[in-house]
Amino acid sequence: MDSKRRVLVAGAAAVCLALAVAPAVVSPFLVQFLINLFMLAAMAESWNIIGGFTGYASFGIAGFFGVGAYTTGVLLTAGHWPYPLALPAGGVFAMLLAALIGIAVLRLKGQYFAIATLGVTETMREVVYNLEITGGGSGLNLPMVQSPLPFFYLMFAVLLLSIAVNRRIATSRFGYGLIAIREDEDAASAMGIPTARYKTVAFALSGGLAGLVGGVFAYWITFVDPTEIFKVSWTLRTIIMAVFGGAGTVLGPVLGAAVLASIFEGLSAELVNFAELGSGIIIVVVVLFMPRGLFETVRRGELSFRHLLRQLDEYRA
Amino acid sequence: MLSLQVLVNGLLLGGVYGIMALGMSLIWGVMRIVNVAHGALIMLGAYHAFFTFTLLGWDPFLSLPVTIGVFFVLGYAIQRFLLNRIVRAQLFLTLLITFGLGVVIENLARIAWSSDLRQVTPAYQGAHFELYGINIPHVRLGVFLSAAVLSLLFLLLIERTKLGRAIRATSQELRAAQLSGVPVGHIYAVTFGLGTALAGAAGALWGMLFPITPTMGGPLTLKSFAVDVLGGLGTMMGPLVGGLVLGVIESFTATYVGPTYPNLLSFGLLVLILVFRPAGILGPRGLSG
Repeated sequence: MDSKRRVLVAGAAAVCLALAVAPAVVSPFLVQFLINLFMLAAMAESWNIIGGFTGYASFGIAGFFGVGAYTTGVLLTAGHWPYPLALPAGGVFAMLLAALIGIAVLRLKGQYFAIATLGVTETMREVVYNLEITGGGSGLNLPMVQSPLPFFYLMFAVLLLSIAVNRRIATSRFGYGLIAIREDEDAASAMGIPTARYKTVAFALSGGLAGLVGGVFAYWITFVDPTEIFKVSWTLRTIIMAVFGGAGTVLGPVLGAAVLASIFEGLSAELVNFAELGSGIIIVVVVLFMPRGLFETVRRGELSFRHLLRQLDEYRA
Repeated sequence: MLSLQVLVNGLLLGGVYGIMALGMSLIWGVMRIVNVAHGALIMLGAYHAFFTFTLLGWDPFLSLPVTIGVFFVLGYAIQRFLLNRIVRAQLFLTLLITFGLGVVIENLARIAWSSDLRQVTPAYQGAHFELYGINIPHVRLGVFLSAAVLSLLFLLLIERTKLGRAIRATSQELRAAQLSGVPVGHIYAVTFGLGTALAGAAGALWGMLFPITPTMGGPLTLKSFAVDVLGGLGTMMGPLVGGLVLGVIESFTATYVGPTYPNLLSFGLLVLILVFRPAGILGPRGLSG
């Protein structure tokens, strides 16, 4: 272990420790903000597996988030399962569903894949809307838990798990395979990488993690309804956070989530009505000026006015 | 008789689906951009018709040329000053930026006009006539005919004019078009302008059939895409056929399965067709189809 690495590990441990004791020290408002932040960061990390490493722009992450939320919710209320079983069951179900759907939609590339995943999400919403066990259009009420603390630690644990999965992928043969698929799928296939299987596993892992996040979210928020939970804006916030931070890096998505969640939160505290407008503007500005993401831009030392302006002309017609 | 009525209802609705999807298909065919802001632009078209109707008293059908002009300029500006800067980037960046644009438009609309439901209600709103026992509302027929005329004019523009040839050339062979002196940046902007004009017109027509809200755009983006995929994305005839097909399918589903099922069907169909027949019913034949 060289010294740079030791510093990193110590830093990470310190951050984890600080966050672990945070609820005892900070205001309840900040605790809620942190739960929200962990959630968005975990979503960005789950998307990163398929969107970042594999380069398949999935617009369906909200779908698996919703499936996890509903599975956990239904098992908890109608099935009377204990939460410690219902939560992983939601994640596993989302993962299996993602694997099944992945086999079909991962044959598509580019925009077709993106829109197919968007269509899958809308289809899921309509299915849930028409089912009886999910409460249909009127939604599902979950039992109330008074303290936010369990959710703080649960969401934190899910975030750590998603980071660990990303970290593991980044340094594994599987991860190199995914990156090869992103860079040139035909070449990767010619090199003997089982592209179909790798992509499906990546999609399933991504969906499973998003499902876990959904399962925690549902119990935290105590109410899920199809229009809210399958909203496209979940997906887009997730993607913009991952892209802003740096898609295909291990910690980029977390960084992106931290920066953007703070900005969005600040906006909605100050000007409730303009918060979503602000997030739309941020998306446009980020894409125009930092298409490679904050992580990469800083790493290349390009966070200057001159470079940002030059970026504006890079993809010009 | 009932099923014939259902069929006619579907066809009348399918016309609007057709021109909605046509604008999106054109933009994709020429620039390979999936315009996620398409639904937001349709929404703006609906509000444009609503306000010219309520404030100025313009008939929503007769104000269509104005809507088209205004939205052409808007679309031209969006492409020229914003999207042209990013048009060569990876796909999800163009998807993201049009999404961001859609969010901005939607929220500006919400802040400016509130989330109240509105509807364009001309005096002939409830009027209808019967033909061989089939009930045909004037407004629905007018909407269908307007959509048909607009589609025809649009196809003539693309197939028979010099501008149309430049657009087709850019779509088919970018380099060759550039070398022959086609100003690509300008043609892109014109293309987006035309797509936006169709979205605006579609919105004006939609607003006569259904309530208008700032958030109506999202599902319409997806529906336009579903229609395009059904007919063949990037083609010109495909969306028109796809629109009619989807209109009929939805109409039958709503009548015989249940009113909450048409969306399930159209989005499910979108996924199934993408997976099993990605080229669509008519298949990709460039912009000439």
